[in-house]
Amino acid sequence: MFKKILLATSGAPSTFGAARVAFDMAKRYGAEVLVFNVMGVPTKAFSQEVNDVRTGEKIEIDDEYQSWVEEELKSTFEKQIESVEFSKIITTTGVPHREILRAARAEDVDLIVMGASSGDSSAYRKGYPGSTLQKVAKAARCPVMTVHRETASYWGGFSNIVFATDFSKQAENAFKFALASAKELNADLTVLHALDISGKLLDQNAIEDKLIETRSRIRSSYDFGDFKNYDVEVWEGVPYVEIVKMARERSADLIVMAHHSHELDPEKARIGSTMEQVILRAGCPVVSVSKPDKV
Amino acid sequence: MPEGQFCNKTPITTDEQLKATLNDKGGKQYYEEMNHLDVDSEKLWGAIQKTMKSRIKTWLEICAHCGLCAESCFLYQVNGRVPEQVPSYKIQATLGQIVKKKGKVDNEFMQMCMETAWSKCTCCNRCGMYCPHGIDMGIMFGYLRGLLYSQGFVPWELKIGSGMHRVYRAQMDVTMEDWVETCEWMAEETEEEWPGLEIPVDKVGADIMYTCNAREPKHYPEDIAEAAILFHVAGENWTVPSEGWEQTSLSMFAGDWECCKDNVQNVYDAIERLKPKRATGTECGHAHRATVIEGPYWTGRPDGQPPVPFLHYVEWLAEALRTGKLKIDPSKRIKEPVTLQDSCNYVRNQGLKDITREIISYIVEPGYFVEMAPTKEHNYCCGGGGGFNGIGKYREQRNMALRKKMDQILDTGCKLVIAPCHNCWDAIRDLEEEYEIGIRWSFLKPLVIKMLDVPEHLLPKDE
Ligand code: SF4
Ligand code: SF4
Ligand code: SF4
Repeated sequence: MFKKILLATSGAPSTFGAARVAFDMAKRYGAEVLVFNVMGVPTKAFSQEVNDVRTGEKIEIDDEYQSWVEEELKSTFEKQIESVEFSKIITTTGVPHREILRAARAEDVDLIVMGASSGDSSAYRKGYPGSTLQKVAKAARCPVMTVHRETASYWGGFSNIVFATDFSKQAENAFKFALASAKELNADLTVLHALDISGKLLDQNAIEDKLIETRSRIRSSYDFGDFKNYDVEVWEGVPYVEIVKMARERSADLIVMAHHSHELDPEKARIGSTMEQVILRAGCPVVSVSKPDKV
Repeated sequence: MPEGQFCNKTPITTDEQLKATLNDKGGKQYYEEMNHLDVDSEKLWGAIQKTMKSRIKTWLEICAHCGLCAESCFLYQVNGRVPEQVPSYKIQATLGQIVKKKGKVDNEFMQMCMETAWSKCTCCNRCGMYCPHGIDMGIMFGYLRGLLYSQGFVPWELKIGSGMHRVYRAQMDVTMEDWVETCEWMAEETEEEWPGLEIPVDKVGADIMYTCNAREPKHYPEDIAEAAILFHVAGENWTVPSEGWEQTSLSMFAGDWECCKDNVQNVYDAIERLKPKRATGTECGHAHRATVIEGPYWTGRPDGQPPVPFLHYVEWLAEALRTGKLKIDPSKRIKEPVTLQDSCNYVRNQGLKDITREIISYIVEPGYFVEMAPTKEHNYCCGGGGGFNGIGKYREQRNMALRKKMDQILDTGCKLVIAPCHNCWDAIRDLEEEYEIGIRWSFLKPLVIKMLDVPEHLLPKDE
């Protein structure tokens, strides 16, 4: 299911966690890796000047600089590149989320892997709000995996997957991805719904009823086919907290969630986003799925 | 050495030349070569005799040196009010001298002219409003730039810029395929949230044809998606041309007259081919000036008008709001102090000052709109017009120029600036980057989309 993985990286240590997961997955599952780097955000209309994504410094891009960046990336990931069916390094200039999406589309990749902060230009963000991740996760046709830190529970391979559902249409796509991954990777799957009771006054009986009802809703909504290693859980609380707690309890090495594209205002989507909270707090990679095309 | 490899009198016309010139980092070799570039005085004088119209001739002669234009120029104001920044001085010391000496000027003089033409005037046309004789340096400098360009004395980035237009018919290397592909991509990315949304390419006989700024497909395709959303919600029967979609004209800033004509002809050809009832372009001031205000003259259209009525985006938007094609949810209007950047190119040059304020009346809660002072046709250039934004060599001067806009914005007390012009938007972004005064800025499209009252049938069905 992963034939081509796009690793979006600035080459900086903060993206090494993402690189480790991307290369490791590629090695295990025989995928190609595309190392993708946005060298800078154009600043001056039609000139070649860009803000370097790593340093924020102004640089002028020419062929020489571009090949220098490629060399840097090649040597940074030298060993890892050797270990996989490497496809190529692509460097470009532009607005990071846009260029990641453009490349994912042009190269028809099956998965995008990125660090949680793969190149946000703060000056740029003011004009176009919303983080790179938010925007990539929202619009990508393929699942997007985010690796926030050198993930503690990820030791290579996936054996415990937590899929958090909110019963949205996107969650159906995310479920397909979670189930297919669990089957293919021979992992255990936990399907969780976090009953959002924040701000609501419910008595204990009402909560109990809700829990039972939701549990059967999961069973009727999702078809597990002949897959046996799964659990259904419904926990009440604040969704992102419950998802992170569940991931800890199950020693999950992968969390799968849906990304909601219906909030049209990226600033609001950003603040309210359960997904972003989970990414920041979880100790394992998080995959967000929005569209059905690649699952 | 009369002509260099990069710096010479010949325009860039091939992709190889373009790439090679681009790879000359910062124009290092280019400017070095410029030091040795010969002035072809005969050709220069010949060009002046052929092209200098009576208006400019008269202007040069009748200037009374009264200095009334001095205060009108923002560059004079921010540069310590030195005499070298007085509009009449700037043009008399350059174009005036070339004419007086019948083209017999040297390299050093031409380099001085180049610096004056591109770093001491943004062709904002403000001074022309204050001169008792109506003498307009913006127009005269536009003319001077043409003479300089033909002699090879043009900033590196603008030589590239007009080369882009010549090679790609766009200010950036966006091909027709890239453009059409971007439209498909944006339609795909947007159709889920906006069921039924399309970006129709080359539809014949649509009510309106839309053109844009090549930077949009290149770096900010959201802008195309946003235009599509608004047309979609407004129920507009619209199209984009596969060719003739690029409306900007860096060649106008570069003084590459031949290329200017070609650019705009390309857009007009698209209009003739697709026969839309009307046309409109993106939120860009200079693109509008090139295509709608100057273009008809460049291409020799007898009535001085584009082939069909061509609206600036603010005109289309105001109309859509006025007629109720687009409805604003009043609870979502802007409720914080907000100001508006009047773009010289369509406000001073075409008088579109009230229409932007009409838009403001729909999208800003009454009491929150704060005018800059001065405002409307008296507003100052953003600080980056006329190509200034893009020229590395004059970055420092450009940053200085931004100070006027900075003071104007600070005086409003607003943190949000609406800038319906690409170049103004850029200048204001750079202004924040340079001086960190804590402001945000926006085009109209994303603001309006956020506050739309969308009819039920246009919303996605699920959930
Ligand atoms: S105001 Fe007009 S007449 Fe007076 S110096 Fe300026 S350009 Fe010349
Ligand atoms: S056109 Fe604008 S920038 Fe140029 S001299 Fe006149 S006021 Fe100054
Ligand atoms: S960029 Fe905007 S403000 Fe500046 S000169 Fe052009 S239109 Fe005027």
